[in-house]
Amino acid sequence: MIRHLFKLIWNKKKTHALLMIEIWASFMVLFGLASLIVYNVGNYTKPLGFEYKNVWAISLKSNQDTTNVEQKIQRALQQLKTYADVESATRMSSNFPFSANSMNNGVEYNKKKIMADFYVTDDNFAKTLDIPMAAGKWYRNADSIGKYTPVIINQKAKEGLFGDENPMGKIIGERFKVVGTVNTFKAKGEFMADKPAVFELLNAKSPWNDLLLIRVKPGTDAVFEAKIVKNITSMLTGWSVEVDHLADSRKNQHNLTLVPVIIFLIVCSFLLINVALGLFGILNLSIAKRRSEIGLRRALGATEKGISTQFIGEIWVLATFGMLIGLLFAAQFPLLNVFDLHANVYITAIVVSIIVIYLIVTLCALFPSRQAATIQPAVALHEE
Amino acid sequence: MLINYIKIAWKVLLRHPFYTFITLFGISLTLTVLMVLTSFLDHLIGSHYPETKRDRSLYIMQMLQTDSSRSSRSMGPMSFKFLTDYAKSLKTPERVTLCTFINSSNAYVGSQKIKLNTKFTDADFWQVTDFEFLEGKPYNEQNIANGDYVAVITDDFKNHYFGNTTESVIGKDVEIENIHYKVIGVVKGSPVTRPFTYADVYFPYTTPKSNYQRSGFRGGYVAILLAKNKSDLKAIQDEFQSHINRIPLPGNQDGFKYSVLEVKSDPYLENFIGTLLDGGPGLRTIFFGVIGFIMFMLMGLPAINLVNINVSRIMERASEIGIRKAFGAPVKALVWQFIVENIFITFIGGAIALVLTFMIIQLINNSGWIAYADLTINMNVFIISLLVCLVFGLLSGVLPALRMSKLNIAEALKA
Repeated sequence: MIRHLFKLIWNKKKTHALLMIEIWASFMVLFGLASLIVYNVGNYTKPLGFEYKNVWAISLKSNQDTTNVEQKIQRALQQLKTYADVESATRMSSNFPFSANSMNNGVEYNKKKIMADFYVTDDNFAKTLDIPMAAGKWYRNADSIGKYTPVIINQKAKEGLFGDENPMGKIIGERFKVVGTVNTFKAKGEFMADKPAVFELLNAKSPWNDLLLIRVKPGTDAVFEAKIVKNITSMLTGWSVEVDHLADSRKNQHNLTLVPVIIFLIVCSFLLINVALGLFGILNLSIAKRRSEIGLRRALGATEKGISTQFIGEIWVLATFGMLIGLLFAAQFPLLNVFDLHANVYITAIVVSIIVIYLIVTLCALFPSRQAATIQPAVALHEE
Repeated sequence: MLINYIKIAWKVLLRHPFYTFITLFGISLTLTVLMVLTSFLDHLIGSHYPETKRDRSLYIMQMLQTDSSRSSRSMGPMSFKFLTDYAKSLKTPERVTLCTFINSSNAYVGSQKIKLNTKFTDADFWQVTDFEFLEGKPYNEQNIANGDYVAVITDDFKNHYFGNTTESVIGKDVEIENIHYKVIGVVKGSPVTRPFTYADVYFPYTTPKSNYQRSGFRGGYVAILLAKNKSDLKAIQDEFQSHINRIPLPGNQDGFKYSVLEVKSDPYLENFIGTLLDGGPGLRTIFFGVIGFIMFMLMGLPAINLVNINVSRIMERASEIGIRKAFGAPVKALVWQFIVENIFITFIGGAIALVLTFMIIQLINNSGWIAYADLTINMNVFIISLLVCLVFGLLSGVLPALRMSKLNIAEALKA
């Protein structure tokens, strides 16, 4: 039966060429959309690794003031810790969670090299962001004695550098000593890929790293915010202070990912509706044209079910031809590792697109083939 | 003759409402997507309020410094001093303005917080741009020389800060980061998609925290060069480049030794694409490849669909074709008829698309996704869409028409 259907379609390949191209193009569009969605959903399912609610980022800018900058930043930090509404405060580099900034560097261990996001933080960072430790302890200021700077790495960095080895106490990148590990840390929000991250102990005497993170008590509002901004600006004349709520910054980061996906999704669904309607129309017409053939088959004893299976089978064969061409293109993505994505993303996307295409063509063929099946042989043959 | 063809086309359309619906759906949808896209691009790069002189402006946005081994590079806006020395001193332009890119800040009113974008500019900024002043006036050279603490705010910020008041707020105080500024002007705001002019509050560069005193080449400032007329653009670029070539190389900045220094003055479109595609020719090919592919899919899929439908539907009209052929109609006339029919239906689809686009644009403008969005269907967009309409009509009309013209008379009449 299947071989027969293939032969039928192959014999009429010229008339069906356009239909196949249409299915091929729909498959490619679907494949693009599915890859995007599969990739983002895959990222979304991995835990964020920290708690952002009620955390505020306070960026200080010294502007023209260049004297004793580091002492002034430390003073602002001490001042923040004295407020009853502030549960915990920490100082870090400007690439705070959900910010637009990022910093990355290569690190090496035993000739294995990875690119990792670097975060320069102090001893209160884990407490402020509520980061659970997988192994070891978060560093303290006292750990910086000696020529090595203590660092914490995340699971991804550990896999990249050490594999199954225990990373504790190892020296990486010539000047860092690993003192602990955390699970995941996706600083750019849920949709960010889980990337290697390294947390480096901040040197309190360095003049950069002028960002302070504070965790406030739930329910703290803009009145308190205005108060701290006022206090800091009157303490540090000429400095600029800006407060961001991490929950707001997270929304911005999410929109950066979601808006293009949503636009793509809307355009794709309209394209596919268009294609589906077109397919439906064409099948309707071609079945109407083949009334005599159907009548003859019915007269020779074909069942209603047999007739509708034939038409659905035909469209499936057509779709398979179209998708085989599509697969030639789509298979390049996982093979060549385009855009550095994991091959699984593309393979899942291909499988999803194949299923959706079969679903669409089946739905489109269902009604016309039902209609064909109910044709009375006598009527059809009489017309002939 | 043409009228006759159109009459026939109309009757054919009415005969099968379902197929007519499919065809119109495909055409109008594709055209809508294309038109919304063009209108959005026009919003991004065209000359609109307040940058109405964009077509005769050059933009200097960033400086690129690379070391001799090209392994590290540093990129970003420039210092006020650098731009004063190398851009403000140009002779050919009509005017040159220096301003910062967007800085953010917060203002607090009672228990409410207002997120603010601020911009430090010179007095020429108000001449190079065409802001509409709802109240008051801009600051001038005198204000800047005096170091006055004055500010120009947008109507949006005025409503947030002073409450929805219709009274004039000129001379009132705004407090931002513990500094009091006197409001001297209220302007209609610029959309966020125009980063050279967008802000909530504009300050003279001599007010505190603008960092205009900073030495060295890098800082937070950008420049817009306004030419007297379009033909001067090339001369200005050359003059600016000759200024840049005078900078001694290699140089050293904060310990970063660079041997290549690049600053470009570009028209807005090039500047815009330049930042988007700052990844060498490889990335550029990928970018245009992806855009081309998307456009092809967007246009190609509905077109193939239409061809498919038309090919099948032509067979329905086999008897009509047969009779016309039997009475001696030449193939050319028949092909012509079908093309006219297709263009006719495409234009109906185009009209629907226009209405749809208009609705979507209104939706975008009013939804507040982009503050002060002013997307329009202007003449350019409309003409482009009409052209697209025509291409579409031909694309989906020619193939079925050819197919039909090969039809045998006897066979056609039999059906």
